[in-house]
Amino acid sequence: MKFLTGIMNNRIIRMTLMLWLAVPITAFAGTALETVKAQADNVLTILKDPSLKPETERKAKTARIRSITEKMFDFTELSKRTLAKSWDTFNPDQQNEFIRLYKSLLEDAYADKILAYSGEKIVFTKEVPLTGKAVEVQSKVLRKNGEIPIYYRVIFRDGVWRVYDVVIEGVSLVSNYRSQFREILIRKPPESFLETIRKKFRDN
Amino acid sequence: MKFRQIFTTGFLATTAFAYCLASLPAVALFAATDGVDSFVPETHTTSKTSSDIKEESATQPSQYEDISEDAKDVKPSDIDNGSDENDNDDEGTNIADPLSPLNKVMFNMNDKLYFWLLKPAAKGYAYVLPEFVRVGFSNTYDNLKSPARVINNLLQLRLAAAGNEFIRFLINSTCGIGGLEDIAKDVLEIKKQEADFGQTLGHYGIGHGIYIVWPVLGPSSLRETVGFVGDRLMYPLTYISESDLPIEASIGIAAHEKVNDTSFRIGDYESFKKAVVDPYTAMRDSFVQYRKNKVEQSYIDKNKHDFK
Repeated sequence: MKFLTGIMNNRIIRMTLMLWLAVPITAFAGTALETVKAQADNVLTILKDPSLKPETERKAKTARIRSITEKMFDFTELSKRTLAKSWDTFNPDQQNEFIRLYKSLLEDAYADKILAYSGEKIVFTKEVPLTGKAVEVQSKVLRKNGEIPIYYRVIFRDGVWRVYDVVIEGVSLVSNYRSQFREILIRKPPESFLETIRKKFRDN
Repeated sequence: MKFRQIFTTGFLATTAFAYCLASLPAVALFAATDGVDSFVPETHTTSKTSSDIKEESATQPSQYEDISEDAKDVKPSDIDNGSDENDNDDEGTNIADPLSPLNKVMFNMNDKLYFWLLKPAAKGYAYVLPEFVRVGFSNTYDNLKSPARVINNLLQLRLAAAGNEFIRFLINSTCGIGGLEDIAKDVLEIKKQEADFGQTLGHYGIGHGIYIVWPVLGPSSLRETVGFVGDRLMYPLTYISESDLPIEASIGIAAHEKVNDTSFRIGDYESFKKAVVDPYTAMRDSFVQYRKNKVEQSYIDKNKHDFK
């Protein structure tokens, strides 16, 4: 106790402590590439796990991967950017439902593709800053008949980099769904739009 | 007394060191918020050529989407929308589709053709022929398209890419026995330098015109159709006379190529349909984005060792 008060009485130490408080938090958060790569490595570890290979373990495997993707992706941001200017025409309940449905739709759509992973090498090459607080983390999947470039667009919020768009061979997920939903929203109000998504989800 | 002096010095030193470490990402972040041009990680040779400058200006369109989107992050409101800004960020992925009703009919027809004809054929084909054989065919057909890639790379003034593709053609045709093996890639690590005539037209600023869905051939546009015809004129088999290669054989070869190609991709179309809510619009949008990306890449000419 006496030691501590003694320390704090020292002017130099007090000033140095202030400097520590000023260090930007991003310095310790890791770069965008490191963050995305770490998450991808976690998913790959689960995919390569021999104990999860049998069909009976499929549900457990999916659940574990989902817990990673939930931290990796910012589904709210993804949803907002997909609906773009239509976002405001949804009331908060509808917005929340859309986020939920959209997330489930994407999980459903890509679960099979991810689970079909058969040992391809994934290389993270570089990160390119986009305007604003966003960065594009570039990677490629090395398949037998060519490479597939997959870019993750991430945004820095609440001290962590999270993915808000995935661009595969130049095709942005957000852009693609945005154009689909725009077509529907031209003809239908938010409630029947949500019903279309619900129905699609049921049919899947 | 003495301990406190040591502690203070140590504390100061650690702080200074931490600041040195911390300043690096902070500088990077500062440069990032300052604008794209000031911080492009080097992937090219050190000397700046006109193609480098073109690339940097070409990256602007692709980030145009994000400019308008991320500009909203700066606004006090948390909602990510903004009236007219969103109309702009789709400019790059919009295409005129006046033939939409007709295109939809074609789209549905192609859908049926896939499930009723192409997929069963490809499945049976894949069952009968082992993968290395199908890869051999794929390589051979690819090699035949090499002249078109060389010419298009030249037209796009991508000299390094043209040169590399020319070397690939020579090596694969000879050592690779008529293109069966992609020796150039496997041994010399010279990858395929993709280029097509539709991309060349886009490189010089020609727009898509309108969206067209052809039966069998699938999504296309006015520009891409001209591109397809142009590429066909650069295809060696086009120049074999009618007596040596009758039209039925030509069509048979094209069909074989399509089935062979599909045999590697069975399931892709199905998962596409499962993932999307509106397949027609999704395919149209993917097509436009994909071709736009190809045109953006046409401004980049990397040297042999750096090709990605």
